[in-house]
Amino acid sequence: MVKYLADLSKLEFSEEKLEETAGQMTDIIGLMDTVKEIDVTYDAYKDNHDVFLPELRADSVVPSMATDRIVSNAVSSDNCFVVPKVVE
Amino acid sequence: MELKDMKLRDMRKALDSKQISAKELAEGYFDNIKKYDGEIKSYITVTEELAYEQAQKAQDIIDKGEAKPLTGIPVAVKDNICTKGVKTTCASKILENFIPPYDATVMEKLNAQNIVMLGKTSMDEFAMGGSTQTSAFAKTVNPYNKGCVPGGSSGGSAAAVSARLAPIALGTDTGGSIRQPASFCGVTGIKPTYSRVSRYGLVAFASSLDQIGAIGLDAHDCGILLNAICGFDIHDGTSAREAVPDFTSTIGESMKGVKIALPKEYFAEGIDADVRETVMQAAEQYKAMGAELIECSMPSLKYAVSCYYLLACAEAASNLSRYDGIKYGHRTSRDCDSYEELIVRSRSEGFGDEVKRRILLGNYCLSSGYYDAYYRKALALRQLVRKEYNDIFEKCDIILTPTAPTVAYSPEKTADPVSMYQADICTVTVNIAGLPAISTTCGYDKNGMPIGMSLIGKKFREQDIIKAADAFEQGFTPVLPKM
Repeated sequence: MVKYLADLSKLEFSEEKLEETAGQMTDIIGLMDTVKEIDVTYDAYKDNHDVFLPELRADSVVPSMATDRIVSNAVSSDNCFVVPKVVE
Repeated sequence: MELKDMKLRDMRKALDSKQISAKELAEGYFDNIKKYDGEIKSYITVTEELAYEQAQKAQDIIDKGEAKPLTGIPVAVKDNICTKGVKTTCASKILENFIPPYDATVMEKLNAQNIVMLGKTSMDEFAMGGSTQTSAFAKTVNPYNKGCVPGGSSGGSAAAVSARLAPIALGTDTGGSIRQPASFCGVTGIKPTYSRVSRYGLVAFASSLDQIGAIGLDAHDCGILLNAICGFDIHDGTSAREAVPDFTSTIGESMKGVKIALPKEYFAEGIDADVRETVMQAAEQYKAMGAELIECSMPSLKYAVSCYYLLACAEAASNLSRYDGIKYGHRTSRDCDSYEELIVRSRSEGFGDEVKRRILLGNYCLSSGYYDAYYRKALALRQLVRKEYNDIFEKCDIILTPTAPTVAYSPEKTADPVSMYQADICTVTVNIAGLPAISTTCGYDKNGMPIGMSLIGKKFREQDIIKAADAFEQGFTPVLPKM
């Protein structure tokens, strides 16, 4: 199960770490299981019917961040993000 | 008055009357940081050069007689709040070299008042923890006892204020991350109502729970900082269009007739006797001031920790999926043959163990077959917690609880994730319900370690809890750690 979750989470663990994490996750899920003791039902309407909807922003063009600032924390070339080759 | 004893309002007077300059004030704190932070480890990044530039600008404004409440005041900032041009690491290797190209809204607001930023404070990685021991860069210690943790996740901010390495600090609170370290470090910390303060530029952990707040030497100082950072922000769709009052305006008003509720579950088994007795003594002091004490019950507390962790981790799993090693953040140096491999390796190298556990838990409870049993159940429990708070607030103005079940403990006790999660029992319901709460010191245990109490207010009634915390503080002599 933890291996499946790790794949889903885009994480990898060594065999040793996976075993340790699996043990911890069992304990954590044991704690989470307390929510099963209580009979409550989620009412989605209650959470959403009175949500304050702020005025929508005007649909106007505003300056966006300059490209060189956007890529300033990335491996970049010619103001583009660089990624491994993904086509054969 | 010595620098270490000065509150923000003393500093304002001293700056405006030219008894001290903004530069001298900053120098005083940098001297302390140089002397003591090697041991306390409250800062990840110290911004001395920038601070002196800011102090000069602040001084020009002060000299013109145009100072705002925070002009020239030194402020420490938790390292998950984006500061343009200054590293913002979230205490994670994955953001070790991240330099934000923009300021968080709170920083824009503070810079508009010409504060002097001292640096960025340590924290649990991505604010996930209650000890500051999951920080990849600075495992902060408690200034009262260096063999103990400062609490967390805003442990760096709380320890810096406690050790007088900053007069005030920004913290963030997702499940108690301002209040619990404030309690452990013997200072005051306020988490405002959810949506009071813009989260734009706060690195997201759990977006429905995260909130920026203040840690200071007392409630009055916290109110002054809060005045500067609250308000609607077009960049945060959840920020409230609620009017922002002067949060310090009620300070000094009588506590006579104020109804304070004490939920019995917060004083039950699992809370240390020292903590329980000290908070109950504080309640009696409120009674002596004319407040009315009311016993009440919050049965959902039994499920609060699980509810909180399910919601927070589900949101964290989603929020942290943005770290792919491509747009920003750590990128593996190993050669990767595919896009997938690059992402997996970068994330696995960059995130620490606690963050990984929470991502796994979040994806578990959102997975097909588990969603209804865990995540949807947690959403239902959130509604129950809110209802119970609403019911209690029909009969009272403020709720009083301990801030944490124990005083600060040794780092060895942080090894077991489950017991660490359970230690959040006193703080998480406030975030689940989106309420404001303040923690202030109400006494010390037999070893001299601080004990905090929390005052929880109605939505958008921060002024009520600031007034109540101040009323207690006026009759209480804090014993700050010797530096």
